[in-house]
Amino acid sequence: MSVADRLGGRFDGLTAAEQGVSAFVVGLSVLLLFGLITGGLSPTYFLYLVGLVGMYVLLSFGLNAQWGYTGLINFSVAAFFGLGAYGTALLTASSSPIGLSGSLLLGVVPLTLVGLFVAIVLAAVVAVAIGVPTLRLRADYLAIASLGLAEVVRVLILNQQDVTNGSAGLRGLPGFFEGWPLLGTFPETMPTLRVAELEVSIPGVYSTRILGFTLDTPFWQALVNVALVFVFVAVVYAVLRRAHRSPWGRVLRTVRADEDLAEALGKDTYSLKMQSFVLGSVIMALAGVFYAHLNLFVSPGDLEPINTFYVWIAVILGGSGSNRGAMFGGFVVIAIREGTRFLGDLLPEALPSLGIPFTDLAVSFPELVATTYATVVNNFASTRLLAVGLLIVLVMRFRPQGVLPPQRELVWPASVAESSGPGETNPRETIEDGATAGAHETAATDAAADEGSAPDESADTADADDTTTADADDGGEDRE
Amino acid sequence: MSVLEYLANGLVYSSIIVLASIGLSLVYSIADFANFAHGDTMTVGAYTSLVTFGFVGALGGEVLGLPLGFFVALAAGVAVAALVAVLTHRLVYEPLDIDSIGLLITSIGVAFVYRSVIRLGFGAQPFEFDIELQRPIEALLPYGIRMTVHDVAIVASAAVLVAGLHALLQYTDLGRKMRATADNPDLARVAGIRTNRVEIWTWILGAGLAGAGGAFLGLYNQISPRMGFDILLVVFAAVILGGIGSVYGAMAGGFLIGMVNQLMPILPDLGAEIPLVPDAFGIPIGSQYANAVAFLIMVAVLLFRPSGIAGEEAS
Repeated sequence: MSVADRLGGRFDGLTAAEQGVSAFVVGLSVLLLFGLITGGLSPTYFLYLVGLVGMYVLLSFGLNAQWGYTGLINFSVAAFFGLGAYGTALLTASSSPIGLSGSLLLGVVPLTLVGLFVAIVLAAVVAVAIGVPTLRLRADYLAIASLGLAEVVRVLILNQQDVTNGSAGLRGLPGFFEGWPLLGTFPETMPTLRVAELEVSIPGVYSTRILGFTLDTPFWQALVNVALVFVFVAVVYAVLRRAHRSPWGRVLRTVRADEDLAEALGKDTYSLKMQSFVLGSVIMALAGVFYAHLNLFVSPGDLEPINTFYVWIAVILGGSGSNRGAMFGGFVVIAIREGTRFLGDLLPEALPSLGIPFTDLAVSFPELVATTYATVVNNFASTRLLAVGLLIVLVMRFRPQGVLPPQRELVWPASVAESSGPGETNPRETIEDGATAGAHETAATDAAADEGSAPDESADTADADDTTTADADDGGEDRE
Repeated sequence: MSVLEYLANGLVYSSIIVLASIGLSLVYSIADFANFAHGDTMTVGAYTSLVTFGFVGALGGEVLGLPLGFFVALAAGVAVAALVAVLTHRLVYEPLDIDSIGLLITSIGVAFVYRSVIRLGFGAQPFEFDIELQRPIEALLPYGIRMTVHDVAIVASAAVLVAGLHALLQYTDLGRKMRATADNPDLARVAGIRTNRVEIWTWILGAGLAGAGGAFLGLYNQISPRMGFDILLVVFAAVILGGIGSVYGAMAGGFLIGMVNQLMPILPDLGAEIPLVPDAFGIPIGSQYANAVAFLIMVAVLLFRPSGIAGEEAS
């Protein structure tokens, strides 16, 4: 069997959504590769983007551990991200009022490693402090309370100038590996590579220049950063996947689907929620630590609520509870954030004149188009917000379960292998069809129908899907 | 500044918060979700008033130091905020088949759309109503209160709107239907109330009050695209403090939170301002923490009395 056949086989085995996502990812990768080759995108900036995607993936993982697994609506993502960033920055930044100097503690331990530890402890402590009063609350109260408490954290960091340097932020952070043996000096010791500019031409038809960039210290630095975030993501992914499939993860899903049931089964739901909340918050802080040493500057702006909502989009778009979805979501969020910036630089500020004479009307149609265009292009920050808002609304309207809802990743691979047949390989698809048609009953019946043949899978998908139904019912009862 | 002056400021600020929190509470009780777009609905009202005021101008006479044109602009702000909310309800919320959490998240997207459209149209810079600033009322100065006629106008208008809403809820058919729907939507439907219509009226009333609140907030402060979002958490604090879904609770909560917000500067030298307390006593906390204190109060209330101060009563 050739490689192409095998790939084709794999592709056919995917759900429609997975095929779409794969096509999107491949398409965007080709686009980026094209940018790299033609010199429109510098390799260093490309690696920086990869690092940012990794950071968002971490944040989405963290939120997934809270919202996707346990159903906790945490609107303080930015606060924990900021705590992680500030936790390490306060210790290591040269402009920090309470920082330590040098790159090694006691001449042995790299300071950034201590910073990482401090950030994680800080996030865990604050998570417990926020969790104690809020985790007993009803879901939507938790949303509001956590957003409020996140604002408290932001206002504190903004105003406690003698500790945090206030609105000026903290500058002069070291790279994460500074002071480490080998890795610390790796970027400097690597040679500078020049990739010569090439002229590619089809004689007489077309000719262009490609490549032509230099790989120097910043590039190697960026490479080290990407390696760091890869390690973070890989470790967190492995831990989360293992945890999610463990008995602990299954209880969390029960808490999400029906808290009263979990309570009736003798589970301490409050304690479980707290564990999930702290786990997620620590992962978010990890993203903050990475960000601080990538950006080398942190400020209270990093704790703005908008950053929380970016992460929420990544998770909702990807599919709540789905780690693959979180990766896809992180990818899309960076595409929106950096892509709009890129487009803003690329597009001309005004439409080229179309040569249509304006009529005597107050606002003629071409003029309206031209002014609208100019407004949009010159206000890319607002356009990004608009895109984000529309994306949230459209996803909730047309695919509330997300693009890549969790399916087989919730189940031990062995139990997937044991099942066979179209219904079993893709149990989720059948259920979704029912769900999108707007009838929860259909979903329930489908789930029940699956139950006989593949108990493991259908139980999982059913409870993932029933969450919506159960929540809706709860909502009705709570109000009485 | 004297305690009386802080109280007066608190009264003005409270009026704005009360207008906003009633609307949020109404929507919460009938549409049954925490509407994060409520703050940005206020912004919509504020900008509409700004534009309308630019068109109609002063329009002759004055009421309470405000030109008549301002009241026309206020009405336009109310109308457009209500229209935008009803359209959003029909186009976005109604077709959704999701739980209240899904609606909550959707409303965040809606808030972003409102805000970005406003920012695209008007830019990020703040605006002010082109109304001459007033001198403080002479009669109040001997008491240590510096309050302008505009401040009185805000309080009076808010009082009129709140009284109107009270009358509507208690003495009209629509009010009875709204209370019934808020209490038990299924029972209301069985009893023959067209709850869809009631829901639309809820949006009109809630968003209309938000629009008025936004216009007053613009008069009190400045108009900027973030104004609504910045005040949203304070409004949530007020609604939760009062008890979610209870309109009268929202009034009380809004009043308390607004007061606390404006009384913050007193805390550092509390002892000197209040009798019976030793002069040296004070809580060293700056007014930049006013909002933070509002949230902490909110969380504390949720902890000890999750249903809020008026939670048990029906609205």
